[in-house]
Amino acid sequence: MMNSTNRPGMNEMVNELKARFNVEEVTFVQDHEAHVDLHRKDLHEALTYMKQNGFRQLSAVTCIDWPNEKIFQLIFNIYDWSKGNRFIFRVKIDREEAMFTTITNIYGGAKYYEREVHEFFGVVFEGNDSALKQLFLEQWDDLPPLRKDFDSRAYSDRKYVKREYKTSFGEKGGEPFERN
Amino acid sequence: MKEIKLFLGPQHPGMHGNASVHMYVEGDIINKSRLVPGMLHRGFEKSMENRTWMNNIGLIPRVCVVEPDINEMCFAQGAEILNEVLVPEKAHYIRMLILELARISIHLMSLGGIGGPTGLYTAMYWAQADRDLLLDIFEAITGHRVYHMYIVPGGVRKDLPEGIEKLIIKTLDGIESRLPEYEDLIFNNPTMQSRMVGEIMLPAEVVWDLGVTGIGMRSATGEAYDLRKVNPYARYDQVEFDVPVATYSDAYTRMKLKMLEVYQSIRIIRQVLDGMPEGKPNVKISRGSALKWTVKEGQIYSAVESSRGEFGYYMVSDGGTSPYRVAVRGASYPQGLLGIEKYMPGTRIDDAPLWFDTMGICSPEIDR
Repeated sequence: MMNSTNRPGMNEMVNELKARFNVEEVTFVQDHEAHVDLHRKDLHEALTYMKQNGFRQLSAVTCIDWPNEKIFQLIFNIYDWSKGNRFIFRVKIDREEAMFTTITNIYGGAKYYEREVHEFFGVVFEGNDSALKQLFLEQWDDLPPLRKDFDSRAYSDRKYVKREYKTSFGEKGGEPFERN
Repeated sequence: MKEIKLFLGPQHPGMHGNASVHMYVEGDIINKSRLVPGMLHRGFEKSMENRTWMNNIGLIPRVCVVEPDINEMCFAQGAEILNEVLVPEKAHYIRMLILELARISIHLMSLGGIGGPTGLYTAMYWAQADRDLLLDIFEAITGHRVYHMYIVPGGVRKDLPEGIEKLIIKTLDGIESRLPEYEDLIFNNPTMQSRMVGEIMLPAEVVWDLGVTGIGMRSATGEAYDLRKVNPYARYDQVEFDVPVATYSDAYTRMKLKMLEVYQSIRIIRQVLDGMPEGKPNVKISRGSALKWTVKEGQIYSAVESSRGEFGYYMVSDGGTSPYRVAVRGASYPQGLLGIEKYMPGTRIDDAPLWFDTMGICSPEIDR
């Protein structure tokens, strides 16, 4: 972890962000990669500003569940191909009321990333109605599966018939696997 | 004409992996289409949270079947940066060797794969035969043909076997000498040209709208946007290679760039073999059992250039023996989901399988 970097354009961008927005913390993980913790209200303006300044690609939107702090951390990963700089914006939202405003009007490509975050974490993106539809999980009737309090073992015990597997080894080379 | 609903896949020779496309067609023009993922039933991201860092090495290659090594590289690289592990020089070179061999193997698969939707099965047989020779090299180096589990945190699992350089050079010379025949078979073939030239366009605006990377991006924008050049990882800054680009992205151009990349990968591998440093191929990362290895608390996005574009892992560690969260950024996610919904309508039914093949879609990395 570094506190600064020598890469052209990175420090200027960070200073610019600090001057304009409510930046809580900046960490340089690699010399071309900065993680910026932002206040949730500033995210859309910050993304618009970044898009106008060369960061034309949205690489991914994802989410991390922190049940002890009772928050979800939303991750917005943007990249500037012409300079090779990457910024990762992180905002915290309340875990109980997991709501956020969509970013599809800034980065159109976010449509399906938001849908995935809704399906796996239950975060509702206001303004992206298609995000409420199911994508990967068919007829899911449990907690969103990537939340930390989702127990995959308990789910599979409840959902599927418990089968016992018996193996018997006969005298000559054994019999095939016997399934009950 | 009446609009009917048509399913393409998951059991279809033109479909790439465990996904299906629902299409509404009128005549043979697609009016509406969407990808239906969710048929892999693996749940990689959740499974990774339940395994130790080292156990995960056996799981992650499955995220992309044909090019598994990029997963190992992303994972190893991310964990090393978080833990401040310095990898020996030799390991970097071996990693480049493996990654480039994998790139050739997937490009060959893709060149041959175009035989399926177009009926040119000769290409498929040739390419699979050549790819098999590369799998022999993988087997000799790693012990496995498809999933290698070779690039691990700290370097690579074991050193190169003695005399492997000869086998690699011989195989690559053979493949390189046969590439002009592929060119005649696929690119100078009037039937193939009528299917590919000017078809399935990908304009630069669409690239930026969707977030397409890799060959799609380079064939439309004309810029050498390749992570190996823009943010070199391993030792890609020490080898010379060109990034083929174009400004007119139809199916033909994208396939052609794949073939040109095979030449560049061969060029990289020759330099890697010539400049292979002496020394150990890995460092010991933990004092006790590797299964109890912990990674320092932190978050990192570790990305590599796959054959389909930017492929990355967003990794979060809470200091424990297993990852707290790993989010996979599949290179074919943008074009696979949003691309099929927004830009596939308007093409013909018979172009749909060609669409997957030339856009480079790998469904397991969409459906993690």
